[in-house]
Amino acid sequence: MIGRRLTRSAVDPAPETTARTENDVLEEEINNLIYSVSHDVRAPLRSIDGFSQALIEDYGPTLDAAARGYLDRIRVNAQRVNAYIEQLLALSRLGRVELRIRDVDVSAVVTGLCERLAHENPGRTVTWSVQPGVKAQADRDTLTDCLARLLDNAWKFTGNRPAATVRFTAAGDPTVYTIADDGVGFDMAYASKLFGAFQRLHPPDQFPGGEGIGLASARRVVHRHGGRIWAEASPGSGAKFSFTLGLQAVGR
Amino acid sequence: MVAKTSPRSPVGRKTILLVEDNADDEALALRALARNGLRDQVQVAHDGVEALEFLFCRGEFAGRDAELMPAVTLLDLKLPRVGGLEVLRQVREDERTRRLPIVILTSSREEDDTARGYGLGANSYIRKPVDFGEFMNVVKQVGEYWLCLNEEPPLKA
Repeated sequence: MIGRRLTRSAVDPAPETTARTENDVLEEEINNLIYSVSHDVRAPLRSIDGFSQALIEDYGPTLDAAARGYLDRIRVNAQRVNAYIEQLLALSRLGRVELRIRDVDVSAVVTGLCERLAHENPGRTVTWSVQPGVKAQADRDTLTDCLARLLDNAWKFTGNRPAATVRFTAAGDPTVYTIADDGVGFDMAYASKLFGAFQRLHPPDQFPGGEGIGLASARRVVHRHGGRIWAEASPGSGAKFSFTLGLQAVGR
Repeated sequence: MVAKTSPRSPVGRKTILLVEDNADDEALALRALARNGLRDQVQVAHDGVEALEFLFCRGEFAGRDAELMPAVTLLDLKLPRVGGLEVLRQVREDERTRRLPIVILTSSREEDDTARGYGLGANSYIRKPVDFGEFMNVVKQVGEYWLCLNEEPPLKA
């Protein structure tokens, strides 16, 4: 198996390198665009929110209930746009931060994240199991972000289970890291949409929280590490997200 | 002598210089300052050139009392003519103004801007929140801190 991998990369290294470079340039341009657009949209948003609030404060008593209701809707929507922008900025930042590759104790990171989720969701009963001793060569901060997104997802979509299970495992060469849950899962027909920004497979009132950018962020981190990410699921029987970090393989 | 705070008026003669080019943001900032009782203390500059003219008593501010420096300058970064970082650089280079408290108040949260701002000697870096309630709170805290809690630096060594 290792031999085959070596052969393939030895035969065909140049086009892969070129493609990656073009992708990098494109991704950088997109990141810069996201940043400047987000930045410029903030100022008018602040005006929409601020002057709606000023109207409510100064003229509230003279407005009828319908007028105040409209103003409230304006404010709620301004804040919603702002939340989207914050998420987009966070996503573009993930694409721009410099990766500092070092040894990461992945099991410890996952355990810490699970403990935090349990602490933040005292009403939930979630059993988690973490395979011990899993290490990676990765950028700790962005990998933690990626794992947090996947675990958040697992927690969120097991919300309908009175007692849920979340498992973290790692196996194979190159190592495949997997986070599996026994939640609502999803129809594989929509799997291609999962990792897009602002894509939701479930209505927000059913599973509130998040702006639909978690998996896009996880994918950004994995891609920056030279790996790939994929999902397997079926409706009602849980979801399984797996990824690789290609860094060890690069140049070998 | 720098104006001392009198016990009857905790804010005394202290002023805020607001450097803001966006008319909407200016109106919202002034509204927030007014609601915190600080409206009368505010001087507005609409770009970097105006800010520098005010601080260095030049141009339309040639006749103003050079002893009365703002207790704090709220400085936006994206400004016409002369940008906020350049204003900061010139303020820090001049003996008369190098100790002035400068607070960057901007929409940008770019690591680069933060690093450059602090690198040029900004005293604080605050991001303008979009939510007006939060913005009010920011203005209130900044006003209270720099006008009431903070001791002004002596302008001359």
